[in-house]
Amino acid sequence: MTEKKKKLSKVFDYLQYDDPYAGGLTFCAGCPLESLARFVPQVLGDDIVITGTPSCSAPVLLGQNIGTWHRMPYYGTLMTGAAANATGLARMYKRKGIKNTVVCFNGDGTASDIGFGNLSGAAERNEPFIYICYDNEGYMNTGIQRSSTTPAGARTTTSPVGRMTHGKDVTSKNLPLLMAMHKVPYAATATMSYLEDLAKKLLKAKEKKEEGFCYLHVFCPCPTGWGVPTDGSLDLCRMAVKTNFFPLWEAENGEIRFTREVNKPKPIGEYTKLIKKFEHLDEQGVARLQKDVDFNHSILMRLSGSCEQGGRHD
Amino acid sequence: MQARSEQDARIMVITGNAAAAYGAMLCRPDVVATYPITPQTEVIEKLFEFAASGELDAEMVPVEGENSAMNVVTAASMAGGRVFTATSSWGLAFMYDAMLAASGTRAPVVMVNVNRETPGIIAVSSGQQDMISTRDSGWIQLVAEDCQEILDQVLMAYRLAEDHDIQVPVMVNYDGFYLSYLAGKVEVPSKKRVSDFLAVLNEQPKRQILLPGQPLGCGTHGILQGFVELRYKHVQAMERAKAAFDAIDQEFASQFGRGYGGQIEEYRTGDADIVLVASGSMCGTIKTVVDRKREQGLPVGLVRLRMYRPFPSEKLTQVLKDRKAVGVVDRSVGFGIQGGPIYSEVCSLSAKFGGASVLSFIDGLANTDVTSDHVEQMLDLLSAAARGEPCPQVTWVCMEE
Repeated sequence: MTEKKKKLSKVFDYLQYDDPYAGGLTFCAGCPLESLARFVPQVLGDDIVITGTPSCSAPVLLGQNIGTWHRMPYYGTLMTGAAANATGLARMYKRKGIKNTVVCFNGDGTASDIGFGNLSGAAERNEPFIYICYDNEGYMNTGIQRSSTTPAGARTTTSPVGRMTHGKDVTSKNLPLLMAMHKVPYAATATMSYLEDLAKKLLKAKEKKEEGFCYLHVFCPCPTGWGVPTDGSLDLCRMAVKTNFFPLWEAENGEIRFTREVNKPKPIGEYTKLIKKFEHLDEQGVARLQKDVDFNHSILMRLSGSCEQGGRHD
Repeated sequence: MQARSEQDARIMVITGNAAAAYGAMLCRPDVVATYPITPQTEVIEKLFEFAASGELDAEMVPVEGENSAMNVVTAASMAGGRVFTATSSWGLAFMYDAMLAASGTRAPVVMVNVNRETPGIIAVSSGQQDMISTRDSGWIQLVAEDCQEILDQVLMAYRLAEDHDIQVPVMVNYDGFYLSYLAGKVEVPSKKRVSDFLAVLNEQPKRQILLPGQPLGCGTHGILQGFVELRYKHVQAMERAKAAFDAIDQEFASQFGRGYGGQIEEYRTGDADIVLVASGSMCGTIKTVVDRKREQGLPVGLVRLRMYRPFPSEKLTQVLKDRKAVGVVDRSVGFGIQGGPIYSEVCSLSAKFGGASVLSFIDGLANTDVTSDHVEQMLDLLSAAARGEPCPQVTWVCMEE
């Protein structure tokens, strides 16, 4: 082995385990989901069992016939029942006293739409596993359709821009906040431009899952679907945080605290102008999105300021 | 034949639902997922009672819907667990995609389905349409006749599902309302005797399971020949299940003193010119009428279907050979096919079993009782057919009252 040429970033300290994926394996060019999929097992460790659904991650995670491209135990299952499957695995390991970290790894379509019922159910029952939603704000694997986390005004193939329609006509579902309001041991938001923050949250989740359900919502732009240069996704992650479009916070038993305060948030226009899916937005459209961002943020502010009386009551 | 001592079995008067719950509890499942639906709810209530009293030591997962119930038990099964769940009708429909995943991944799940009519026309009443609707889900489907057989079939279901040569999920069906809430005499064997009956499973090669630290791809993409191979193996396993069920039934008889005949039960078919094919609780009534007709000198008999999938084609062909008339009673309808679903499958064998007229009887839909009068009416029609008189191919007996 050759000497290390330069000091590595602190985030490498968190990568305590080998990358379980084969080299040369790629998702779409510039997709931060690939980095996330490689990052999670390197932080969480070798007792991981990963389960997920047909989605952007599936072609890589699922393997084909008798071949896979990684060394993790993996269960490819249904979008309707992702969290229920993770429940079955986690309960069985618990019963047998087998050390485990069950990770239910899904996109926003599964988490916020078709699999929301059983995600909520697993959270309410406080099932002992980690649910990670990578949020690329739509059904990207099937070719860019709107989901309930697609923001207002965004163009997708099922919220198109034309003479009669101007992108998505309703606001998005605030899924991470909904999950925090289940008063689960741990819920947090994270994104790929703040890796140390993400790593800390993964480790916290691994610790807290001994108490029960943990939820991580990871903002994960889709260069292909959003119309962003392939080297632009991390800039987008940063800007999403700096505009308060995607605030970074964590919640223990429903008590919310910011993990990155944004003192002077930039206007949302600074973010939308980087993305083609918003290019049709006029001033009104941008103002509408700004209003939604401000509203979501004001809820967080209020909740994080009134932690004293929170908490799970069991 | 009967219980050797208090330690071997208890004689109880319990409902069909309770019998199902006792059956499941005795097999010591690791994970039980539950969701209420009429007329199944009593099964899961009973299981929670067992869990509360300590009689059942299992991970109990009271899920938020049947779809999750099936997903929970499938995944727990993939992780090496013995699992149980129960449902009915709309619940069965709601878990359909997960049922496909269970059978496609060859998870040896055991479930009871308490037969009830399916949605659209809201019918809180008995009917086998739910079971019929999941015919092609790749599950083994058994049908019980009475409370005792419900308990016994649950025990046999685990032997079948978890058999190394089978590894296919098993659904035990019984009529909602008629059996679910009917209290009958049931011999409840001891846990010891049940574990003796299931012990052979421990000697078989271990199935592959999903464990932390042990790389394994479950539910991978099946591409071309890879897919074809797995489908073929599943279909072959279903075929093997027929003889396996016969053998398990025989072994059950030698251990518990109750045998049912395996895939089908033959009732006074020996010299019968006229044979009815039926399943479920209505068979009790049919047997009574058969006895009565026999006293009158009419050579009639009953073939009771105990296994709906795989379909006991060979056994049926054998038993229906050279009869004069065969009637099939369906407690469900076949949309877009002439006659009932089981009737149409029996018809597909008629070239093999010879020249008998085969008639379809639709009866017992939505809790319309299959009365002895109805059965007499069917046998009258079959007698006419046996004499060569023209008869309607399909008769909606439950509509003609």
